[in-house]
Amino acid sequence: MKLTFAFLTSALLLLSACRTDYDIEEVATPQHLGTDHNDDCVECEDEDAEHVHTDHEHDADTSEPDLLRDESDENNASVISGSDRHVHDAGQRNHGTGWFFNQPWAASFIWGKMVRDSVILLILSAVMLFVPGYLRKRRR
Amino acid sequence: MEDYPLQVKELQKSFKKKLGLSSFKAVDSISFHLFPGEILGFLGPNGAGKTTTINCVLGLLKPSGGKVSLWGSQPAAPKVRRRIGYVPENPDYDELFTPFEFMMMFSSMRRLNMSRNRIYAILDRVGLSKWEEVRIRNFSKGMKQRVSLAIALQSEPELLIMDEPTGGLDPAARKEIRDIILEENRRGVSVFLSSHLLSEVETICDRAVILSKGKKVIEGKLDELMRTEDHYRIEYMVSDEQEELEIHAALLQNTIDDLRGRGYSIIRVNPLYRSLEEVFLSATTGVGR
Amino acid sequence: MKPVITFALMTLRNLLRRRTIWGISIVILIALFGIGQIPSYGISNEGRFILDFGLFGLEIGALLLAIGLASNIYPRDREKKTLMPVIAVPLSRGQYLMGRFLGAAIVEAAAMLVGCVGLMIILVMNGHNVPVDMLPATGLLLVEGWFLLAVVFFFSFWTSPPLNAPLTVLLFIVSQMSVAGFIKLFPQAPGLMRTLRLILPHMDVFHIKDPIAHGIDIPGMYFFLAMLYGLAYMAFMLSLALVVFRNRDLK
Repeated sequence: MKLTFAFLTSALLLLSACRTDYDIEEVATPQHLGTDHNDDCVECEDEDAEHVHTDHEHDADTSEPDLLRDESDENNASVISGSDRHVHDAGQRNHGTGWFFNQPWAASFIWGKMVRDSVILLILSAVMLFVPGYLRKRRR
Repeated sequence: MEDYPLQVKELQKSFKKKLGLSSFKAVDSISFHLFPGEILGFLGPNGAGKTTTINCVLGLLKPSGGKVSLWGSQPAAPKVRRRIGYVPENPDYDELFTPFEFMMMFSSMRRLNMSRNRIYAILDRVGLSKWEEVRIRNFSKGMKQRVSLAIALQSEPELLIMDEPTGGLDPAARKEIRDIILEENRRGVSVFLSSHLLSEVETICDRAVILSKGKKVIEGKLDELMRTEDHYRIEYMVSDEQEELEIHAALLQNTIDDLRGRGYSIIRVNPLYRSLEEVFLSATTGVGR
Repeated sequence: MKPVITFALMTLRNLLRRRTIWGISIVILIALFGIGQIPSYGISNEGRFILDFGLFGLEIGALLLAIGLASNIYPRDREKKTLMPVIAVPLSRGQYLMGRFLGAAIVEAAAMLVGCVGLMIILVMNGHNVPVDMLPATGLLLVEGWFLLAVVFFFSFWTSPPLNAPLTVLLFIVSQMSVAGFIKLFPQAPGLMRTLRLILPHMDVFHIKDPIAHGIDIPGMYFFLAMLYGLAYMAFMLSLALVVFRNRDLK
């Protein structure tokens, strides 16, 4: 029991010690987070200029005023707001949609972390299930 | 000796009290064993540690010290669990099932693959012949006890562990259950029987272990436990009428000589037997001869 | 394996004969029906709305089902002493846990499937297409539900049912938080909070309602990895539950 507990704790700490994890805000590249989208950025200005349009329809559906929002929406409210907000094809990034594309399904660079954690968790499960029994048998 | 169906050596079980700062010893270094084919009565007042001991025997509680073995193996070993039947005290099975469903499921869990007819026969044997398909929520305490017995018997066990098997039953039903226990015993089954009903133990048990406050106070054959070493009964004839006299062992020879001197003929001299109740009270409270 | 399957079927029957499961299922269906009605009161993009809120409803349903199904199983077995004859003779503690879990997991799967089909019907009735990823998305929510079921079993071995539900809900909420958000809960100890958050599960991996509602294709590999992660965490929680259960005295 004590051995299992010690192993469990150390393995969990190992798991937590991996700094790069699921929190994309901390580990993702600026490009991925979309934080490079600001008024000072020349590239972005170009991009913005390229993207200023109004009736560009989304592939799957119409505009998404309710869902595609975050703090930057408020900052840029004068530029893109309400029905004037421009939209892109499905899967294409939009202004102020960082949160949307920062979810794990879209951030492929964290998929490896899911595999890593799955392996650690499965090993821990196996240890908890089989090691105490094995040790008991050895003691007998 | 590895062949005892049940052996308990120096068993101890303590329970932690609140916050784990102190503990309470429910069972304190008790040892006994069950011979193959015998019925061992396990007696004691409420709180003596009987059910705790049984739960240790079944692996439901982890002993704080000592050892429990069934045929020389750990109680949790699958190979020994297959050989036992267990009748719990006050069973309360899931009320949404019928006895038949329970029997089917237990038979499947124990890989017995019993036929429908075989299950009906066992339920009939324990007196549930018209209740096979009735949900247990409609059952009395005694009927639930019968369901327990049926489940315990279904695997034709070599060891029956019974915790108050006749609790809540009326006298007629108690006799039925007693008869079943004796039938099983004749088949060669060893029985470990915990009971409050001393008359029941007196009737069917070969030996008894009596606990008090977590400790074993007496163990032995019933005949030996109930026989008094220091009192005798003398039966003699006085002019065609049979008389009897109970006397202390120290006076036995003088009394016999005296009776003979008076011309009475001695028929029989036997040690005096106490009832199991007297033995029990004497062992657990110090009351009695 | 046969004893476990038999016991799982026994658990399944037991749960179906109780009213809890039907109550929760009816609540889920009513909620889905309600979501189908709201767009007609003037909200645009109703297909997207139905999908988004419908999948959210299924996720909450998975949580409620997990709590409703499993929080009381072990305490009831123990209180009524139905556990003793089962553990004493035919089953080991591991088999008991697996049987109970499997039975509850089957019920949860059936309820989620019914919820998914209900959502599809509502979409079709409102004249919208059913996205291809709807079934895999429900599958992910089901894995999340199974994980929560394992969590509820784990809590049930050392807490009472009234404490089990809030603890599970708390874990559910915390597991959706980012590391930064979690640290904000107790900024005085950022290191501890970071470690704690990274150990806790990351349930956001199961959330794909947004891309589905927006018609975005999700790679099959993602479904596979998220399910692997969910099942691995479920196995971990079940093992943890078994370690606790194995060391418990059954009085």
